Amino acid sequence: MKDYIATIVKNEKIADNIHAVTFALDEDIKIRCGQFGNICVGGTHLLRRPIAVCKVDGREVAFCYQIKGEGTKKLQTMGAGTRLNVLMPLGNGFYVEENEQKVALVGGGVGVFPLISVLREYGQTKEISAYIGYRNKGAVCGVEEFEKAAKFVGVTDDGSYGEKMNAVQAFAADLEKGNRPDVVLACGPTPMLRALKALVEKEGLNCYVSLEERMGCGFGACVVCVCDLTNGKKARVCKDGPVFNVKDVVL
Amino acid sequence: MANLSVNLCGVQFKNPVIAASGTYGFGREFNELYDIGVIGGISTKGLTLEPRLGNPVPRIAESRGVILNAVGLQNPGVEHFIEKDLEWLKATGTVVIANVAGKTLEDYENICARLDGLVDMIELNISCPNVKSGGMAFGIKPETVEEVTRYASKALKRTPLIVKLSPNVESIATNAKAAENGGASCVSLINTLTGMAIDIERRKPIIANNTGGVSGAGVKPIAVRMTYEVAQTVKIPVIGMGGITCAEDAIEFLMAGAAAVQVGTANFTDPYAMPKIIQGLNDWCDRHNVANVSELTGTLQLNGK
Repeated sequence: MKDYIATIVKNEKIADNIHAVTFALDEDIKIRCGQFGNICVGGTHLLRRPIAVCKVDGREVAFCYQIKGEGTKKLQTMGAGTRLNVLMPLGNGFYVEENEQKVALVGGGVGVFPLISVLREYGQTKEISAYIGYRNKGAVCGVEEFEKAAKFVGVTDDGSYGEKMNAVQAFAADLEKGNRPDVVLACGPTPMLRALKALVEKEGLNCYVSLEERMGCGFGACVVCVCDLTNGKKARVCKDGPVFNVKDVVL
Repeated sequence: MANLSVNLCGVQFKNPVIAASGTYGFGREFNELYDIGVIGGISTKGLTLEPRLGNPVPRIAESRGVILNAVGLQNPGVEHFIEKDLEWLKATGTVVIANVAGKTLEDYENICARLDGLVDMIELNISCPNVKSGGMAFGIKPETVEEVTRYASKALKRTPLIVKLSPNVESIATNAKAAENGGASCVSLINTLTGMAIDIERRKPIIANNTGGVSGAGVKPIAVRMTYEVAQTVKIPVIGMGGITCAEDAIEFLMAGAAAVQVGTANFTDPYAMPKIIQGLNDWCDRHNVANVSELTGTLQLNGK
């Protein structure tokens, strides 16, 4: 973890309401898939914006973000050459064990971007199937990345791209055909993760989910971004997570 | 090199910049970024006798120039702190201030008795706006401020007592005087101002607790004014806080009468805020031929009317 002074190389729209920003650093950086950065947009915004890392390439780091509030609206306006402070890498990230060969990625909404980082890290060594749900055709992004996976099923809520279903339904349909993964890695809206939790519990599958929560510091000091654990305790999403074994968290 | 050290109630600080409670945990995470031994002191996350799980999420929101939080005193309990964090924290070389809260007068008395002699100072949180049982009930009226201070101070034989004051009161200066009368060695102010931020799409407050404590750059003028009023009223040292982001902000509080300052929200915007403020204080003093930072305290000259 270090506070990098990062220079924007490009910052462009990749889908409806979704932008991708690429930063150049002065030095190489190592970031695990599923880790995130806390981006300082400055001005009257006292909190940084915690955003999952999508791609890392030597000195370049890319994040994809949904334009949602004032901070991301401001970030959207920043052009090449703008220098921002980015604290990273943060959080634990996704891990695939040696003995886990078949990996299923289940993602929806902005949750697809940390899964792209998984594909980039494990795409060569593991057999990856990606089940990705979008709201509609306009929201579809990252396809050129997901198509590098052994299998890619892209679906939409309204059927305007792929079949009309959600990511969990797409995954469940493949499971029924006997395509069982050794581990499931997921990120997306809480209702999606809840449905996935029910499915993997029924099927007895090993599953890790990346959670999202409003954060303060982003590195564990302020205990703002907690989630409930099944053992009655709380965990910090930023520091103990954002990736948790799905059986350990209450969704 | 200016002399940045200050002495409060017999406790020597290497500089007057202290981490504000709740923004810095117990120091371990910030120590991954820099040696926290460089800061003057740390006021720990608010401790209670028993562990607390705190409020539901979301616990934080942002508004221009400020943030709102309602963590609700999530903490591992005082025994966990003593067992797991205290020795490590002392070894860093920074002054250790235990921030404590309770539901009853006896809670305050007991937690102070438990920590007496173990930490450098105790900061009494009688003004947490986010928990019904967080002592807010004691922090409003001067009579109860004095009473809870008396209970805490009688349990303390060796450790000086700071009382942290709420700004959500009729007169913070009157409450400061009440704390002094109750036996406080020092007062700190301001705790957060109670506020609300609304998600207009959902027509609901952003924070699960509905209201939260407002802090950050935007509250600074209020905090400076209150620090001035309190410093004019009490004889004990005053620790000022509220929106300090840079060395110049800290100097305003010192001039208004603070002997030391606390930095909170700025740690979120820039995790290196505190070392930068300390360096900036040194540079400002050097440029202005101030040999000792303590000379700045209370040097404000009001405009003539």
